Amino acid sequence: MNRLLKKLKKGWELIALFHQGAFLDRRMAVVRKEAFDINDNLMLLLFGDFIGIPNPMSYYMLELLPLVADELAPWERRIQNRRFILAEKGAQYDFDT
Amino acid sequence: MKRFTFFGGKGGTGKTSCAASCSLSLAEQGVRTLVVSTDPAHSLADTFDRPIGYEPVLLRPNLWGLEIDAEVEAKKYTDSIMKKMLHLVSATIVDEIKRQIELAYLSPGAEEAAIFDKFIELMESAGKDYDAIVFDTAPTGHTLRLLTLPRVLGVWIDHLIEKRQKARKLMEVAARYDRALAEQIAQDPVIEVLTARRDKFSLAGKILTDTENTVFHFVLNPEKLAVLETGRAVDLLKKYGIPVGGMIVNKIIPAGAGTFLEKKRLSQEKYLREIRERFAEGPVIELPMLEEDVQGMDQLRIISEKMGALCS
Repeated sequence: MNRLLKKLKKGWELIALFHQGAFLDRRMAVVRKEAFDINDNLMLLLFGDFIGIPNPMSYYMLELLPLVADELAPWERRIQNRRFILAEKGAQYDFDT
Repeated sequence: MKRFTFFGGKGGTGKTSCAASCSLSLAEQGVRTLVVSTDPAHSLADTFDRPIGYEPVLLRPNLWGLEIDAEVEAKKYTDSIMKKMLHLVSATIVDEIKRQIELAYLSPGAEEAAIFDKFIELMESAGKDYDAIVFDTAPTGHTLRLLTLPRVLGVWIDHLIEKRQKARKLMEVAARYDRALAEQIAQDPVIEVLTARRDKFSLAGKILTDTENTVFHFVLNPEKLAVLETGRAVDLLKKYGIPVGGMIVNKIIPAGAGTFLEKKRLSQEKYLREIRERFAEGPVIELPMLEEDVQGMDQLRIISEKMGALCS
């Protein structure tokens, strides 16, 4: 009885894992991309003056610097290399599947 | 007695003298009073005829003076950020960001923001160390910007918080099957810092619009430009809900001042009438032009007697 229960449990875990890999990951990647995009835009509002966009309260934003310092360099790279906005947006919708 | 008394108006009208005599009269009534200059070009020390710095100085029994130094306040602020940074960030990034922080003081609005921070700090301290604070403000434009900052920036920061929360919510959805990510986003210090900042602004806004405890007096001269500018400033303060108190009309030429000044006196009379009509809501106090500059306690006392009800 116990062994059967264990086997059933193991089987269920495998099904769940397959389900995640086959259906969820792709969807979640889209959501995650959207979240990162919003965050990038927020960074632009917070620290736009780093790349030449004036900010009415850049002085107050300094106190956020220690918290986001690690994100800053990759963000600057991403935001400055945005050459194909359309392609970037298009990639969010799976035209290829 | 109001807890916060502001004196504002056009440059050179006598704001500092009025603020100084007002604070003196409060102190002599036994009220622990702090007189603060928010004008980057300070003249409080000249009026009291003794040095005043960015830390409160005891001028007389019950009377302290302070001149806000934007540079010192900004330095304190950036130093505290640097200290926090050293705990949180690796050394290579610190160097990069140090430069950004040093540059930030040069950005437009930084000086204002630094003064505003000190301003909030002082207002929060009222009731503990001091019973009343008298502010000698900078000429109209600068001060109006300072006083309306909380409303404007409050809206802006609300927007930022909203955006961050939206991003977080999406992350939470994405992290439903990813425990490591879920833990990482469970607490968000960015939102905490933004919220603390917003609370500070809304506190300042609350204090500034509190008719019980706050009043803004205007000092003006009976001249065309001063009347017009004051009229505009009063309208703006009303729009933002900051209580306007009295009008102190300064430098009125007394009758019999000589033929050269007689014509000037007549034109002043015209503007005086206009001021009395236009600003009839609050008290209008009239101060004569004096033979000498206002300096030292005795002369301040003479002015404060004339201001009477405004500072008691």
